Parts: sequence; structure tokens; C-alpha cells
Amino acid sequence: MDMQNPPAPETVALLDGIRAFVDPAHVRTDPDSLLNYGRDWTRFYTPNPLAVVLPDSIEQVQQLVRYANDHQLALVPSGGRTGLSGAAVACQGELVVSLERMNRILDFDPIDRSVTCQAGVVTEVLQNFARDHDLYYPVDFASRGSSQIGGNIATNAGGIKVIRYGLTRDWVTGLKVVTGRGDLLDLNGGLIKNASGYDLRHLFIGSEGTLGIIVEATLKLTRPLREPSVMVLGVPDLDSVMSLYHAFRSQLELSAFEFFSELALRHVLKKGLHRPFDGETPYYALLEFDNPEQASTDEALALFERGAEEGWLVDGVISQSETQAKELWRLREDISESIAEHLPYKNDVAVRIAKAPAFLAEADALLAQQYPDFEVLWYGHIGDGNLHINILKPAAMEHRTFIHKCEAVNDLLFQALQRHGGSISAEHGVGLTKKPYLHYTRSATEVGYLRAIKQAFDPNGILNPGKIFDR
Amino acid sequence: MKILVAVKRVVDYNVKVRAKADGTGVETANVKMSMNPFDEIAVEEAVRLQEAGKAKEIVAVSLGVAACQDTIRTALAMGADRGVLVETDAELQPLAVAKLLKAVADQEKPDLIILGKQAIDDDANQTGQMLAALLGWAQGTFASKLEFVADALNVTREVDGGLETVALKLPAVITADLRLNEPRFVKLPNIMKAKKKPLAVLKPTDLGVDVTPRLVTLKVQEPPKRQAGVKVDSVTTLVDKLHNEAHVI
Ligand SMILES: Cc1cc2nc3c(=O)[nH]c(=O)nc-3n(C[C@H](O)[C@H](O)[C@H](O)COP(=O)(O)OP(=O)(O)OC[C@H]3O[C@@H](n4cnc5c(N)ncnc54)[C@H](O)[C@@H]3O)c2cc1C
Repeated sequence: MDMQNPPAPETVALLDGIRAFVDPAHVRTDPDSLLNYGRDWTRFYTPNPLAVVLPDSIEQVQQLVRYANDHQLALVPSGGRTGLSGAAVACQGELVVSLERMNRILDFDPIDRSVTCQAGVVTEVLQNFARDHDLYYPVDFASRGSSQIGGNIATNAGGIKVIRYGLTRDWVTGLKVVTGRGDLLDLNGGLIKNASGYDLRHLFIGSEGTLGIIVEATLKLTRPLREPSVMVLGVPDLDSVMSLYHAFRSQLELSAFEFFSELALRHVLKKGLHRPFDGETPYYALLEFDNPEQASTDEALALFERGAEEGWLVDGVISQSETQAKELWRLREDISESIAEHLPYKNDVAVRIAKAPAFLAEADALLAQQYPDFEVLWYGHIGDGNLHINILKPAAMEHRTFIHKCEAVNDLLFQALQRHGGSISAEHGVGLTKKPYLHYTRSATEVGYLRAIKQAFDPNGILNPGKIFDR
Repeated sequence: MKILVAVKRVVDYNVKVRAKADGTGVETANVKMSMNPFDEIAVEEAVRLQEAGKAKEIVAVSLGVAACQDTIRTALAMGADRGVLVETDAELQPLAVAKLLKAVADQEKPDLIILGKQAIDDDANQTGQMLAALLGWAQGTFASKLEFVADALNVTREVDGGLETVALKLPAVITADLRLNEPRFVKLPNIMKAKKKPLAVLKPTDLGVDVTPRLVTLKVQEPPKRQAGVKVDSVTTLVDKLHNEAHVI
């Protein structure tokens, strides 16, 4: 739909049909809503939704899905729209279904240590809820203040604590979803153990809104770390990052192992943060571990000394308070936001950690050769074998041209990745941005099965069509 | 010049403080403790003065339980040269703290004493002032800038109306405000060095100071819970709520 012109009569009639069961105030067609709800964090696609609907009950979601089936209307489930793969983008006249009004925490059970909430609860709200009950929801990342539990589940979000606590998948014990057929499924009911057949819950986790609309979830909580210490260590080269990882992980129970390059650090320094220590090193590692009463500080110090002697460490700092821990975290966490103005082209790849050094060396050489004029930033959840590669758009280059140039190198990069048995998407999903490259990670036969599953849950292809694979 | 810096161990700034169920104080069991943030600023300032060649020696002092040694070690890792702990399990109120610091100052004979302007646990904001009075020294409180000009120390103070600069003669007492500097992170090699720096432990009786509390805490309780906000759909509902529920219009 053209955002400037009034909607066509067919559109008005179509939307009036929806206004019959969703409060008309929550069926929006104003240009602001269309723009904001039509896109996620990617900026390559022109938002072009038909309208935005904000249901506030499971019944309304079911009615919407049935209505969409009856009228061959494409739906884009929409969470906090912090996604980085275009999976929540509506650029083909789809109806955006935002879960943001379904944001209630419904139940908390201290014995089960679980919480049941609607899909539109913001990740940070759930984290704070857990903290208020002396518990911890460990799926965490920089977009926590906007992303929603439903979106986290639909992307199987990972984040900064995966090394110890796993992905979103590991915390979902129950799920209510409205399938593409309009059926409401109540999956697994919060059970830890349930061996009664296929566990459909896991199909919806990471399905990027293509199989069903998640409406409710039951999540496990755990005990919080008592006194996490954070270290930022200066590392001379990529190989050393792995030596460091190996040494520290064998001695300490790490809850985070992140890395970033000096080039990436400079962008957060520009936003007013301070260097962890005087002097530059090409790479930095951020480690977090629980350290009640400084019990593990001696181990950390011994490892540091060893690293300095063996040459895989140059310098490093350790937090003395939670405030300092947070400040150090910001050096890593603020990178994404600090480079957003440069419209970065993002790759988010995964390899087995053992394969990381070889892949890194190959990728580093490839990028240096292919992008001699571009600023390439490395950072990521290296402890999970997950690397974010961000290529910044030179200010003078036109956005389209820039993206074409970046995409031209993807095939080479992903061929290298394939040789090392990696994935083209570690945690950001496939959506639109990685769709052309799915074959590097999934065989044609496997994609055939994915399609069969899609067909089973969404026979008319109304849910997020064209995402992950072509319709 | 010799600098004495006072450092206090407090509940970490980021910990959500809870009142004990019996109302006698604040829950500190299993709670993260750290150096009072204003004291970090005080230590940082001392270390910068040393790096600038203005100070020869920095002595970090803490008063309280044995675990305050950790706080002193942090100061040593930031750059202080040695530590003094006056160890006691007794509750220490600002006057007792000021008296103990005076006694330490009588022994150490520093030219400058830097403290935080207040501790974030009891927010008393009294110790620095009392200490200056007990010593009969000049005081520069709420300092946001220190500058040596000839033999005077110019202290820029954050006061209600803006910034005020006072010129002090040494010896003097300074209390650090938030904008004095941004404390550095502690380097791992410096933690190792800090372990080897001297740390003397004294008792209040060694200093001849009576630390018996003069003030009685009647009750500690949590502030009333704030109601969560609500979003309203229209101006009419807003006005209605302001009028009929909040009773403000
Ligand atoms: C600064 C920044 C840092 C980030 N760091 C990380 C990180 O460390 N790790 C990580 O994994 N991701 C990260 N992300 C990516 C993103 O935040 C996550 O993918 C997040 O889980 C997306 O949640 P959302 O609610 O914003 O989903 P959206 O972007 O709104 O949607 C994502 C996908 O989920 C679908 N969806 C949303 N809600 C539902 C629902 N209720 N039912 C069915 N489908 C639904 C959408 O259709 C879409 O396919 C980061 C993003 C930013 C901007």
C-alpha cells in the first residue's frame, strides 16, 4: 500500500472485516504505524504493510488467523522488531500482527520456579520480574529493553550468557500457539519431562513466525549469580583468543565469553565510554564468572600471569563492583547500537569452537582481500563459536550499491564456512537477509522437510510468507 | 606530599537494598559489598596527584570489619602504597569515624586527607567536615576540581548556586564529589602487586578512641511501594483518571 495515498475500497472493506472483532482503535493504517511496525532493525527493505493489528486476546489472534485464511491475507507476527534478519519486515502489503498489547505476566510458581506470560512481555520486564523474586531469567542481550518473549522464542534468541545457560530453547517449558490453521495448541504444559511423542514445542522455537503465532509461554527461571566479576583482557591476535578461551574455561565456570576488535571498541569510545586500560590491543575478550567473596580471583590472576608469560594476553582489568562490571559490559554491548548509524551489513555465523581459529583466519584474510576499502568489525559470542561480522557503509556510498558489494562476498564467505561445517545464521535467524544462502547450511532434502512442516501447520501459506525460504 | 584516603566498604550501588524483617537495619548477608563510589573517586584523585608528581605516598584507611581489607586491597590495586585497617565489629557512626581518622592522621601526619563526600549506605555526609574540625584543618568539601597554585590548593566546589572556588592552605581535608574524576578500572597485574603491599591492622583501643554509638536507630523500613503506571487510550480517559482516581485536577 502506498503510504501517502488513501487505501483502496477493497482494503477498507478487508480491514472493516477485522474491525468487527478487534477494537477499531487497534487496527492502524496511519503512516507512522505503517513505517514503524513494517520494519525491524534491518534498514534494507521498504516497509509496506497493509495495516497493523494489535489483538489483545488469544481469541482475537485465532479470529485473525482464520480471517487471513478466508481472505488469503498474509500475516507478519511482530514482537519488539529488534530482529536483525528482516524476519519481522512487512514489505509486500502484509498485515502486521503486533503482540505488544498481550503483555501480561499471568502466573508465577516459586516451587516450579517458572513463570507463564503472554508473548508480548518485553524481555527485560521478565528479567526484572524474576529478579524481584530472587530468581534469574538468563537469556540476555542488548535489545532486552524492546524485544519480546514471543520474538525471542520465534528466533530462539541466544545472547551473552549462552556459554553457561544455553539459548531461549532451553528455558521454554510450555508454549501456546495459534497455528496457521487457526488452531490453538497448548504444548508441553510446563513439564520438565514429557516423553509422549513428538515435541512440537521445539518446532515453533526458532520458526520465525512461519508456523504459528506464539501467544503464551511458560519459562523456567534459575538462581542468579551471586557476585559476577567481569574481566576485559587485551589479546594480541585471533589465535590468542582461543588460547585464552581454552585456559580460562578449563579453570573457571564462565557465564560469558565475548570478544570484540579494537576497531569495534573505537565506536563505543566515540559515544563517551572509556578504554578499559591505557593502550590498544587488536582484540579484547570479555569474561564473566561468579566470584562470591572473591573466591576465584586467585585462579583468574594465575591464568592471567600464565597468559602474559605465554604471550596470549597483553593486559587486562577486572571489575571491583557491580557498577564497574556494568561499565565493562557496555564496551561490548553498546557496539551494535554505536555502529547503527553506519548502516552495517551484518553476518552472524557459527562454527564449532574447535574450528573457530581456522575459520577465523580464512575469513579474516578473505575479508581483508575483498573489502580493502570497507571498515570490517569483528565481535561476538566467541565462547559459543558465534561471530558477528559487521561491514560499515562508507558515508559516500549509495546504500543499494553497498549491499550488493557485501552480498557479492557472501558466497565466498559462506563457502569457507561450509568447509568448516558452520551455519550462516547463529542466532539472528534467516528471515529475508539470509534466505539466499540457506543452502550452505541445510541440504535440499532437509529444506524439503522444512517445507512439509510448514505445509502441515500453515497450508495456505498465510504466516510470514517468503521468510526463511520462498513461498 | 603524603595523602591519606579513607575508603568505606558498603553494599554495592547496584544491589537492591532490603530492610531486615525485624526493622533493625539493612540486609547485608550474601549481598555484594564494594568500595563506596565516592571513595573510589577520592582514591583516583590521590593516584592522579601521585602520577602528576605532586604526592609521594598514598595511605588508604578503612574502618570496620575484617573484610574491609578487600576494600583496602582495591585501593592498593588502584595505586595506593599501603593500607591501614582499624578493625572493629562495632557499629561506627560518623563522629566515631572522624575520631578514628583523626587518630590515624595524628600518627601518619599526612598533608592532605581525601574522603568521599558521603557514603551511599547511610548518606550522612558528615565525616569529612567533622574530621576537619577535629584536626583544625582547612576543608574543601564537594570538590569537583583540585588545582595546586603556588603553595595553595584551589578546590572547586559544587554548591547550589553553581561552582565556588576556595583556596586552602595545607594540611587540608577534601571530600570528593561525583564529577571530580572518573575512577580507572583495576588492572590484573596491579591486583597481584597490591597483594604484596603492606597493610597494617589496628584496633580502636590502640588509638585510644571510644567508638560507642551516640545515636539510636529506631527503625529501618522500606519506602512505600509505588503503583505501576498505566497507559490510557484517550485524553478523555486521562482527564477522567486524573480527576476521579488521582484527584489532582
Ligand atoms: C542491539 C541488538 C543486540 C542484539 N543482540 C542479540 C543477541 O545477542 N542474541 C540474539 O539472539 N539476538 C540478538 N539481537 C536480535 C534480536 O533482538 C533477537 O532476535 C530478538 O529475539 C528478537 O525479538 P523481537 O521481539 O524484537 O522480535 P521481532 O524482531 O519482532 O521478530 C523476530 C521474528 O519473530 C517473529 N515473531 C515475533 N513475535 C512472534 C510471536 N509472538 N509469534 C510468532 N512469531 C513471532 C517475527 O515474525 C520475526 O520472524 C540483537 C538485536 C539488537 C538490535
